[in-house]
Amino acid sequence: MTLRDEVEDLYAEYSELIDGGSLERWPELFVEPCLYRIVSKENYDKGLPLSLMRCESLGMLKDRAHASQKLNVYGPRSWRHAITQIRAREDGERIAARANFVVLETLHDQHTKILCSGRYLDTLVRTEAGLRFREKTCIYDSALIPGSIVLPL
Amino acid sequence: MTAAELRAWPVEGDSRAPYWIYTDEAIYRRELERIFEGPTWSYAGLECEIPNQGDYKRTWLGEKSVLIVRGEGGAVNGFLNRCAHRGVQICQHDTGNVGKQIVCPYHQWTYDLGGRLQGLPFRRGVKGAGGMPADFDLSEHGLTPIRIHVRRGAVFASLHDATPAFEDYLGPQMLAFYDRVFDGRQLRLLGYSRQRLAANWKLMLENIKDSCHASLLHVFFVTFGLFRVDNPSKVRMDESGLHTALISERGRQELTDGTRQMQSFKADLNLQDPRILEAVREFTGDATVIMHTFRPNLILQQQSNTLATRQIVPRGPGEFDLHWTFFGYADDDEEMTQRRLRQANLMGPGGLVSMDDGEIIARAQDGFRTDPQGASNVEMGGRDYADADHMVTDVALRAFYRGYRKVMGL
Repeated sequence: MTLRDEVEDLYAEYSELIDGGSLERWPELFVEPCLYRIVSKENYDKGLPLSLMRCESLGMLKDRAHASQKLNVYGPRSWRHAITQIRAREDGERIAARANFVVLETLHDQHTKILCSGRYLDTLVRTEAGLRFREKTCIYDSALIPGSIVLPL
Repeated sequence: MTAAELRAWPVEGDSRAPYWIYTDEAIYRRELERIFEGPTWSYAGLECEIPNQGDYKRTWLGEKSVLIVRGEGGAVNGFLNRCAHRGVQICQHDTGNVGKQIVCPYHQWTYDLGGRLQGLPFRRGVKGAGGMPADFDLSEHGLTPIRIHVRRGAVFASLHDATPAFEDYLGPQMLAFYDRVFDGRQLRLLGYSRQRLAANWKLMLENIKDSCHASLLHVFFVTFGLFRVDNPSKVRMDESGLHTALISERGRQELTDGTRQMQSFKADLNLQDPRILEAVREFTGDATVIMHTFRPNLILQQQSNTLATRQIVPRGPGEFDLHWTFFGYADDDEEMTQRRLRQANLMGPGGLVSMDDGEIIARAQDGFRTDPQGASNVEMGGRDYADADHMVTDVALRAFYRGYRKVMGL
């Protein structure tokens, strides 16, 4: 199995948990200390520190997952991730991985639309359970989000 | 039913809002003309977004694309983002630097930082042929200027000659709230979020004037007491009824007469990592949150340590854009900056609180669309317009409709 295959498997699991409605298991793919961020390309390019979502610990990831599943109010929808152009480089204990993503959103009574596209800039580590995220940064392209982002990208 | 009957405001008056004010194209056109392009000061941006000479921000005044530019001597100039020649939008990026001059890419008409036309290619013709007429006067063909007012780091713009002085426009009470956040310190830009919501622009303002909903819709506010009707709270308005401040103090996660009635109160909800709720007091007075709505297009948010402007850009009766600009102060230490960035998880298009708002107002719009003759009921707290020392009231909505009807002639 090549490094790229391993990374692709991790991304596949990652998107299956989110798209498949098992968000409570999404934090399992991270290891402490961890950092998860969703950042607009605009802020990223300008060096502005604001994130659209920012989880600085496993606890915050779990809080976010719980809120998305149980606390927030939003209309019914399905999500579908498509993750492509995966590249990875192992450097000592860390693996730097990058990929493009597209998230399709289907709202009730509406046609499927592109919610956003962008790229992942990730740092992975090897654990007994397989590759896990130490840091994940989702940089989305569009400055203008259609509606809200109710789940992690 | 005739058009006139369709336009009749419900007989109950300002405690009702007919749904057609959110769906009707003619109403929307009148709003652009009388409100956004009328005698009002629209929020345009923060000075810290354009610190250096030649810096510009592309912003919006109603549907009109507007540039604010840092000119010579530090002045902030404003004009329509539209070449005087062929109407081309000159700047397409949201922010940038034009250098010493503003040049339209189409035929290179060139303006100084004050919008005055400096020159254009082929003005005198080429090899004796063509060129502009001899009486073409550069001074008559500048960019269309816009009135600009800067107060303590925020920039406002107006298209109307009769707009009163900004301080009079806000009035003394609202000005004091404004100055509490814009306290004269240099601001520090933290970043932007932008979203397009499928709802009428008024619904966004109304959501922030609707002091009850925060205690019912938002589990995060309710459970952790950040903004809840059983906390000491006040609603303050100006004479027009169109500017509002909702003022509150943070409460606790406990059962009270209020929380017992809130299905969204979760006595047993514990955060695994409660740092997103850890706030420090940074303003004088007891209030821990003040949500301001300044007409026509600004929500100024001070919720614990998150500070942001939310700029409303109307896009037709059924859509608007919401531009969030998060900021702090230049003298914040690193800990405070991190606190602001962490608490920002509650706000914005993915905010643990704000995502509920974006979703619910779109659902209200869905309701309006199918039945324009229906009407909202806003009689919680009575049918009057007086400032309240609690938040169990729709008074800010009634005052808003009263002021709105006067401006709109409805």
